[in-house]
Amino acid sequence: MCQLRSLLLVLVAIFSLVHAISDYHEQLVLRPLQPSLLLASFNFQSNTSWESFEQQNFRYFPRSLGQILQHANTRELHLRFSLGQWDAESWGARPWGGRREGGTGVELWAWVEAETDEDADGRWLTLTNALSGLFCASLNFIDSTRTTKPVMSFQPSGYHTNSTLSNLHLLHGTLPREVVCTENLTPFLKLLPCKGKAGISSLLDGHKLFDASWQSMSLDVTPLCLPGSEECKLQITQTIDMVLDIQRSKRPRDNPIPRPVPSEELKCDTSKPYHSSDVCFPLDTTSQEEDWSLAQIFGHAMKGTCPLATDGIDPVCIHVPHARQVYWSEGAQEHKDKSGYMRCFELAPESDFEMILPRQEISEKAPLEQPLLYAQRSFIGYGQERGGVQAILTNPSPTSAVDFVYMESLPWFMKLYLHTLTAKINGNSEDVIQEMYYRPALDRKRGTQLEVRMFIPANSTVILTYEFEKAILRYTEYPPDANRGFDIASAVITIGNVSIRTTSLLLPLPTPDFSMPYNVIILTSTVMALAFGSIFNLLVRRFVGADEAEKLDIRMLRRKVQAVASRLSRRFMKKTAKQE
Amino acid sequence: MAPSLPQFSAVRMRSYIFRLPLFTRSIILIIILIWIVSNQTVWDVEKWGALIPDEIGLSTMYRTNTFPLVHAGFFHAVMNIFALTPLLERFESEHGTLTTLLLFVGPLSTIPALLYTFIETMVLHMNTAVLGASIWVFTLLAMEAMKTHKTNPHFMIGENKIPTWTTPLVLVLFISFIVPNTSFLGHLCGLLFGYGWGLGYLKFLVPPEWILRWIEGKMNLLGRLPHYVSVDQKTYGRFGASGVLLRRNPQLLKLPPYLSLLFIVVGVVSLLVLPLNEYSRTTYISENALLPGQVHTYFAGSDQNVFRGYKQEVDALGDKSNTEVNDKLEEFFRASGLKVARQRYKYKSSGQTYTGENIYAILHAPRGDATEAIVLVGGWRNMEDQLNRSGIALILTLARYFKRWSLWSKDIIFLVTADSEAGPQAWVDAYHDTHQTPAIDSLPLKSGALQGAVVVDYPFDHRFESLHIAYDGVNGQLSNLDLFNTVVSIASGQMGIGVSLQQMWKHTDSYKDRLQTMLRGMMKQGLGHASGPHSSFVPYHVDAVTLQPLGQGWQDEMAMGRVVESTFRSLNNLLEHLHQSFFFYLLMQTNRFVSIGTYLPSAMLIAGNFTIMAIYLWVKSGPPPTVSNAVPANKVGKKDLTSATTEADPKERELLLPLAVVAGSQFLGVLPLFIFNHTTRHMLTAVFLGFAVINSVLPFILSATLTHFFAPTSQQYLLIKSFSLLLLGLYLSSLATLNFSLAFLIGLLATPLTYIYPTPSTTALKFILKAMLALLLTVIAPTAVLVIGSWALGWSIEDVLAEAAYGWDVWGMNTQVVVWCVWWPAWVIGGILLFGKPREKDGQSVAKAAR
Repeated sequence: MCQLRSLLLVLVAIFSLVHAISDYHEQLVLRPLQPSLLLASFNFQSNTSWESFEQQNFRYFPRSLGQILQHANTRELHLRFSLGQWDAESWGARPWGGRREGGTGVELWAWVEAETDEDADGRWLTLTNALSGLFCASLNFIDSTRTTKPVMSFQPSGYHTNSTLSNLHLLHGTLPREVVCTENLTPFLKLLPCKGKAGISSLLDGHKLFDASWQSMSLDVTPLCLPGSEECKLQITQTIDMVLDIQRSKRPRDNPIPRPVPSEELKCDTSKPYHSSDVCFPLDTTSQEEDWSLAQIFGHAMKGTCPLATDGIDPVCIHVPHARQVYWSEGAQEHKDKSGYMRCFELAPESDFEMILPRQEISEKAPLEQPLLYAQRSFIGYGQERGGVQAILTNPSPTSAVDFVYMESLPWFMKLYLHTLTAKINGNSEDVIQEMYYRPALDRKRGTQLEVRMFIPANSTVILTYEFEKAILRYTEYPPDANRGFDIASAVITIGNVSIRTTSLLLPLPTPDFSMPYNVIILTSTVMALAFGSIFNLLVRRFVGADEAEKLDIRMLRRKVQAVASRLSRRFMKKTAKQE
Repeated sequence: MAPSLPQFSAVRMRSYIFRLPLFTRSIILIIILIWIVSNQTVWDVEKWGALIPDEIGLSTMYRTNTFPLVHAGFFHAVMNIFALTPLLERFESEHGTLTTLLLFVGPLSTIPALLYTFIETMVLHMNTAVLGASIWVFTLLAMEAMKTHKTNPHFMIGENKIPTWTTPLVLVLFISFIVPNTSFLGHLCGLLFGYGWGLGYLKFLVPPEWILRWIEGKMNLLGRLPHYVSVDQKTYGRFGASGVLLRRNPQLLKLPPYLSLLFIVVGVVSLLVLPLNEYSRTTYISENALLPGQVHTYFAGSDQNVFRGYKQEVDALGDKSNTEVNDKLEEFFRASGLKVARQRYKYKSSGQTYTGENIYAILHAPRGDATEAIVLVGGWRNMEDQLNRSGIALILTLARYFKRWSLWSKDIIFLVTADSEAGPQAWVDAYHDTHQTPAIDSLPLKSGALQGAVVVDYPFDHRFESLHIAYDGVNGQLSNLDLFNTVVSIASGQMGIGVSLQQMWKHTDSYKDRLQTMLRGMMKQGLGHASGPHSSFVPYHVDAVTLQPLGQGWQDEMAMGRVVESTFRSLNNLLEHLHQSFFFYLLMQTNRFVSIGTYLPSAMLIAGNFTIMAIYLWVKSGPPPTVSNAVPANKVGKKDLTSATTEADPKERELLLPLAVVAGSQFLGVLPLFIFNHTTRHMLTAVFLGFAVINSVLPFILSATLTHFFAPTSQQYLLIKSFSLLLLGLYLSSLATLNFSLAFLIGLLATPLTYIYPTPSTTALKFILKAMLALLLTVIAPTAVLVIGSWALGWSIEDVLAEAAYGWDVWGMNTQVVVWCVWWPAWVIGGILLFGKPREKDGQSVAKAAR
């Protein structure tokens, strides 16, 4: 007994040593947006020391991912799954300054350590294929045509020693077509120490997450070193951000149809002269705060805290004015922030946590952070041969100018005419392009990469346009599913530490009518199969009368047995005769 | 004659094949035909035609003639044709077609056949059937060998002299050894006959030459039959009727005018039969993803109260200015939680300015990323300038209702345009960035690729009975038939609302009603103007329809809303842009249509009539044939051949003047096009009247000028007409694939131009004829048709012309280009021809040709 205790003590001692650098914490920040939307940001962060990582001693760091990173010599990894469109005009600046989100679909970029470009490409291939299996996403389709090597847009966010830095290769790939869904969420949650069973991750439910108006899942692995010390650690950050429609989320799951409300419940503007029992002018409800609770929004209350999380960081925070009424379940403690708009909750470890915000007439709103830049990108022109892209970039700030890098990675079949690239500022052609990096496409080998460093003065709009030609694809190059067009990855705008992604685009290419031969093949195959089946049946099957069949069987069996027996006996006799 | 292998060239080969004489050709043809026939299993041709010695009796004597024509298989036939053709060709050119025919049908096949039969049955007592033309090959070879033998008796192999006549014998032996299943005896019999012929013992079999000559002369065989070789030894190697002669064949030359008339008649008739069940089809949904009417619609209940509220607001805004209206609409859309933007536009046409401001709101697909969008459009005022009061209220209510749904896969754009004509055009132009800045603003807010648009035009308060669907776009372009079918299927199938089209309020599904619907559709397509706000979307490959409730019934505005809801749910299902169904069709009932494959021939035939006449006139204007000199002995042939050609001068065609006249008139068309598109509205009637007056005397003046200064010959008149009709045929047939109806209508109105020739008014009768033609020409003038058409439809000329100019300036309509640059020049040329006076010398012949 005593021995056991001392062993335990030793173990605890070792553990606490590791613990000093290995830690895990998680936090959910809720922020109501206008109108009747709620931004929920989940943040899961764990650290592990570089030594334990090298020794494959994983504690909070997921082993599956760690081994992939080691195998592919990846020093820094960023993976994004996104869906929907961030409405910057009504929702303000993006969460995390846009650093934790990608373009629609899947986006992956990593710094791979390799001596040569070929090695880097090989390791990148290993990485994408391994991650593809890990996250149930088609990441293996990030081939050379979808891989770019950005020059200006991405900088490593972690710390790398100078010797490694010289051997690091940045590779970037996007899959705008990939539809992010629950099969990506499940492996994502499995990487967490509490695996969605307890703590804030218990609120994550595929039904709610993928019903969000906008959602983004991110995974970043960065090496960090304390300045001036040799002690380095590896940090893995997983975030999930989603914008939920409160009204939609409150609908019961078994009856999600938005039927018209009974006319008694209709909120009408009674001040209108024509208002009566059957005439109703709907009241503008934007001034009212919706009532909601965690259980309504996420389907169920939060299941305690994650026991592995480090104390000291409140797991749930909400970004509302202090005047807003908030009720919460017993056992939790409220911490109000000094700014007047933020309060956090310290939870009891074992009991469920629930938070309720009632309906309230309140004029005070938590301020929205204004984005540095509004970006909108769309196709212009029409027809099957040519098209154009127009990006409208607006600097809303009345005082400060914005210096940024605009990056496009286009597929090879969208043949950019670089000479048509123009940037107009407030309608005048002015020289706003400061620097440009352009890597032209090679047919069926690599896509176009365009990075433009631009400068927008305060309170002005730059319209960037360029034209392109649509290539005619070989018929095997069309994806096998219904041809709605080809998705073009979002443009990435990098303003120092902040990044903004435009929406993806849908490019219709000249398309042969595939369905016709497809139908013909299906139909003929069916007919052939039917005809072949019946004819083959007729040819092969022997038809006998029902009464004959049984008799025949017994006789046949007997005869066969006899024949075999006699043959064997004859042969045996012969052999013996010969021997004699 | 046969090409020798070392100097083989494709050109020589080709000319050789083209010069094969008649009988050789016929034999080859017959052999091929019989081979084709023998491929069937019902009738055993080989058994019927082969020479089977035992079968030979009096009634089966035909076998002695048919056996060389029947072959045992493809290779047998091909080998024999290759062997026979050069030999037979040489024989025929030497002896004449008639002799060859008589010999080969008669003695040359029967005698060897009988010989073979005799030896086979009497001597050998066998019964081997023989087939194939190889017997002729050996007969002819033997004849050639004997001929060679006479000039060149031996050839030397080493020291030995071998007589040349034995070569066919050697060949027979070789073939019987090498090729299986060959009849040695059969070939030998052929050889024997050949030797006999070569030695001159069998010359008595040739029919006497005078009989042949007599037959040939009497029947004018040389003139009638192409590739005929005359018996006359003087014409050795010279073939009588060739391709050139065929082209000059007077019977054939008379044909094209009738053929072109036939084309017109068939073209019109084939259009008229389209409404019959046999030629039209019932509509069907081609794109399975649409699933029309498969969803339950929930737009009802308290949303009707909201609708009434919005309608009160819209009614209150009825007389307000555009900006005030949009301020209020913006407020409504924003209250529904949508993003709103506005667009100002300004168009100038016929000296008038059309300005307005569009307002639109975008509902972002809840999980989408703005790659695709569908549009719900309502003009604040509809095409008849009525306030679209229920329509706008419905759009506002639907915007609020759609916002609640989370199933949208595409963004939904709610567009309210200031008017129904310029507004949608300005918006859709700006959406694709093809607009004219700064008159038209760029769109501050955009979504993805437009996948479809539905317009609601509901200008009254009361309940309605049925739904009218307008589907035709600018310039006769149509939206995809699937969209139309979807709406029809939803309205009539799911909601039980009757559907009508082309203002056919009562449709009994009779032939007459179907035809009327189709013709109305064609008329609208032909005129090419917008029939609703949806029309502006169609040229951008955005399929769009306008829904107009009509009549007094029991369907309320919520039913209309549910139709829109269900249609949007269907469009929302689309995975691909609408492409499955037809873009070219004529509808004759809500569920009956004809597709391009069925109706296109009628317009093509009308256009083809011009082309045929153009080719005919080109041939007719050409240099006369010189063939008549080749057969001086043949009096009968000469008389027929030369009558039409002797007086035409043998010079080349004079092309400069005709080309200049036709090109000039084509360029002249730009003038009215420019004038009518750039005249201010109040001047239009006056300018038109002036132009009509000038236009009615223009052909006469032009024609007089032409005759006075250039005095064109009849050939030049023919060429002028030829070029004019050629261009017309060319334009119309290409137009038919783009805008069938316009091509058909213009083609039909231009058909009289095919039959107008310079008619000198020498006699009273001719004068009357000319006057009548002139009258006809005046009636079918574009200006006259415009007057008559607008009178029949009850529009004023000013309105029609202003609408056309408006279409040109705003919608990019190009009907007037076709009218002034295709139809009008052809008409002017027609007038020039009618009043034309060919130079005296040729007047007679041209007039004659016109008959």
